[in-house]
Amino acid sequence: MLRFIVRRLLVTIPTILVVISLTWVLIKLAPGNFYSGEKRLPPAIEKNIREKYGLDKPWLQQYGKTMWSILRLDFGTSLRYEGQSVNSIIKNSLPVSAAIGLLAYLLALIVGVTAGSIAALKHNTRWDYGSMALAMLGISVPNFVLGPILVLIFSLTLYWLPPSRWAGFPSRNLILPVLTLSALQMAYIARLTRAGMLEVLRSDYIRTARAKGLSERDVVLKHALRGGLMPVISYTGPALAFLLTGTVVVEKIFALPGLGNYFIQASLNRDEPLIIGIVAFIAMTLLLMNLLVDIAYAYLDPRVRYQ
Amino acid sequence: MSSGKFKQIVGLVVLASLALSTYSCAIVKGDEEFFGSTTPPKQNIFRYVNGDEPQSLDPVMSSGQPEARLYMALYQGLVEYNPKTLAPEPALAERWHINNDSSEFTFHLRRNARWSNGDPIDANDFVYSFRRALAKETASPNAHMAAYLKYAGAYTAGDVFVRDPQSGQFLLARDFVDNLPTDPLSGAPVDAAKPEYLPDPNEPKADPDTAFHQQMHAPLRLTLPGDEKKRAKRIDANPKLKAAVAGKEFVPVKGEDIGVEAVDQYTVRLSLVQQAPFFLGLLAYQVFRLVPRKVVEQYGNAWTRPEHIVTCGPFKLKTWIPYDKIVLERDPMYWDAAAVKLDEIYFYPITENHTVMNMYKVGELDAVYNHAVPNPWLHVMRSKKDYMDAAEAAIDYLIMNTTKPPLDNVKVRKAFNLAIDKQAWAEWRRIVKPLTAFTPGGIFAGYPQPQGSTFDPGKARQLLGEAGYPVTQNADGSFSCPKFPVDQVEFFYNAQSANKAVAEWMQAQWKQNLGITVGLRAMEWKTFLESRENLEYKGFARGAFGADYMDPFTFLSIFYTGGDNGTGWEDPKYIAMLDEANRTLDHNKRYELLAKAEAYLLDAQPIIPIATPSVNFVKKPYVKGMYPNPASLYPWKYIYIERDQAKWDYSTPKLDTE
Repeated sequence: MLRFIVRRLLVTIPTILVVISLTWVLIKLAPGNFYSGEKRLPPAIEKNIREKYGLDKPWLQQYGKTMWSILRLDFGTSLRYEGQSVNSIIKNSLPVSAAIGLLAYLLALIVGVTAGSIAALKHNTRWDYGSMALAMLGISVPNFVLGPILVLIFSLTLYWLPPSRWAGFPSRNLILPVLTLSALQMAYIARLTRAGMLEVLRSDYIRTARAKGLSERDVVLKHALRGGLMPVISYTGPALAFLLTGTVVVEKIFALPGLGNYFIQASLNRDEPLIIGIVAFIAMTLLLMNLLVDIAYAYLDPRVRYQ
Repeated sequence: MSSGKFKQIVGLVVLASLALSTYSCAIVKGDEEFFGSTTPPKQNIFRYVNGDEPQSLDPVMSSGQPEARLYMALYQGLVEYNPKTLAPEPALAERWHINNDSSEFTFHLRRNARWSNGDPIDANDFVYSFRRALAKETASPNAHMAAYLKYAGAYTAGDVFVRDPQSGQFLLARDFVDNLPTDPLSGAPVDAAKPEYLPDPNEPKADPDTAFHQQMHAPLRLTLPGDEKKRAKRIDANPKLKAAVAGKEFVPVKGEDIGVEAVDQYTVRLSLVQQAPFFLGLLAYQVFRLVPRKVVEQYGNAWTRPEHIVTCGPFKLKTWIPYDKIVLERDPMYWDAAAVKLDEIYFYPITENHTVMNMYKVGELDAVYNHAVPNPWLHVMRSKKDYMDAAEAAIDYLIMNTTKPPLDNVKVRKAFNLAIDKQAWAEWRRIVKPLTAFTPGGIFAGYPQPQGSTFDPGKARQLLGEAGYPVTQNADGSFSCPKFPVDQVEFFYNAQSANKAVAEWMQAQWKQNLGITVGLRAMEWKTFLESRENLEYKGFARGAFGADYMDPFTFLSIFYTGGDNGTGWEDPKYIAMLDEANRTLDHNKRYELLAKAEAYLLDAQPIIPIATPSVNFVKKPYVKGMYPNPASLYPWKYIYIERDQAKWDYSTPKLDTE
């Protein structure tokens, strides 16, 4: 098991370097500069700026510098936000995204698994159709529609909850963004659980369990759920990485200082160190999450054993 | 995803959005006087949405409007903007003298000015701040705003003087540069017989003459590029210069050479390279604000972090959480602290306008930044008493690539201008006024703004015909212009719904009035800028510009630097006209000359003026001392929260009355 983990971690490093290199090339190919604006800068000033940030150096040298800083896990200083290091930006914005993302996923897990299980156990009943209809709605309604609707109802009409902004953790401000973000995940998880459970409930070992006289409760909770949740576990890796590293739309709607917002702004601003830093961070998170999922498989699925 | 499913989803989204927009219109309806809550905040704190996250809290590092507003709270310079007119008012300088041809400015500083850490502010702080702002290493994007200071442009560009190593004499510009205007008074020998300054009864003692002052008054030195290749090219092109340079040494232009001097502890003297009667108005611009030498030298570019920063404005930094909020608190060290009315200001960096308006409605904000009211809400918002409607010192226009046919023909350019009904556009857009000139309408009092040509589709068709593209009328009354190479023009804009509306409107106008359907092309912002700067677009591109300072020249200067204005149009005559105007001391005469240059520009038609926008924002009626001035820049010390309802603002505050 340990050998498996070490091997996977070692494979991670070149993967990340390839991701960074591709990102770097794309940034260099993208037209425009971080300093360009409506009124063009005089050439002398443009030259000063390029010299100050090392953009006048040959590409190979710039690439080398970028890769060297990645290897030291120091992503340098943002071009757009003078004097702010990329590391500090990630450090400050990650907790916001992570709080919202984790809460949203937790909520989605609880509701999704419950709804999915009920749908599977009461297959082809009103319960099944009802929860699957809701799930379809959750998948179909994008969060930029759901968010404003929630704000409209709970903030602007009922005046129960604040319409936006970050107010620390925990706070009432979290409720609407978490709900908005979790809707889609909830729906996905409900559908995955239902599908997984349906398959498992038809399998031989469940029949065996029932045949040996186990209570339905034990059959479902001890046997069926463990197998039925495997698709959900697979989904959790990328989903968590995605949620932890920020979701632009929800962060925009609720004016949250999260990582996703920075990522989009950095790309629009051609803020090279910040883009590279966030891409590297997201890549690492994604690979780590996938590793965790694989490990979790080993414990949950008796058929999977890593040597 | 299959296309069928995709279509379904798109359909659902459209349905939901429609339902939502109807609903959101429903909530902004109603006949309340004001939009949402009008309960003043319990504490004496002003909560403001400022637009974008600031790039930096270093006043020389950004030219953006959100940053400028923050800098006005944190830093001061010699002068500060008037809250209504934006005219320069005394700030750290309590009074000043301008010499007889506006080329030398002497400022007397107030003696009670202090940094937020209690250190006194004196003339040396100005010398340091100006030199730093202009230094090559600082790489300030605004350094060119200070280029009127003697040798400032050369210092920023890293240029060199040419000196004779034996005699120590410098080569002079007048010996090698053709058509150099005569030196202004600041560069002429100090002559007691011809007083440089008018006598001032309040200031009987003249400011002392110093060695540096003498140096400034010496004839202008020649400067050459610091880059060896460029310098060699320049020298080779001029045989006289080549002969003179032999045996000489090149001395880099240093910060100590630029025209800013601490005459004594509380006197700052600025020497300009030319007559510049508008220069005082420029001095409130961010690049001229003071930065604390000790802190900058100790912490480098980390000096603006909350734990290090030292400021000199009415407010100081309390907390700064990027993309969340910036909290400023009243600075007790500020020289006019007694006049500062608010305890704290919250600046929220939010650009999602629906979010901004929601926060405003529930009473979490006291005012919002300009252009924050979303378009579909305007029909309701404009009737509210907290809606601010006033002209902005900004222009919406189209630029044309004059280097490619068919728009290299001025007749074609004029035809496309004449074929747009700007009046109708303004009525439809609701928050703009039609514009036929290149400076905004109704902003610069006394400026004889030229009137460009107005909507005249008949003349437009005639001009197109003269250019070789005859327009014919079809049986159904519509027009067509079969000879026009419609594949050679497109309308480029950066993808935003408001820009798309402009593009579609113009497209419809040209189709209706000329029978020409111009294709539209949306681009991402930076890509758009690049293709516009490099003239890689064909046809038309969207343009918009907000004043850097309150003078028509801020607009006219877009075409001052030849060739890089996105149109390819350049004309030495236009530049000469602007130069002449800027050297003219009489204010009215100068305005006339600028207007003449503007008329010349309009006649050459590299641009199509569209509209003057409105400030378009909301502020709660209890917010007083905040005026919808044309640049949306507010001197924060005047703003206060009025708790007596009788004294509230029940309409847009007027800018021309007390």
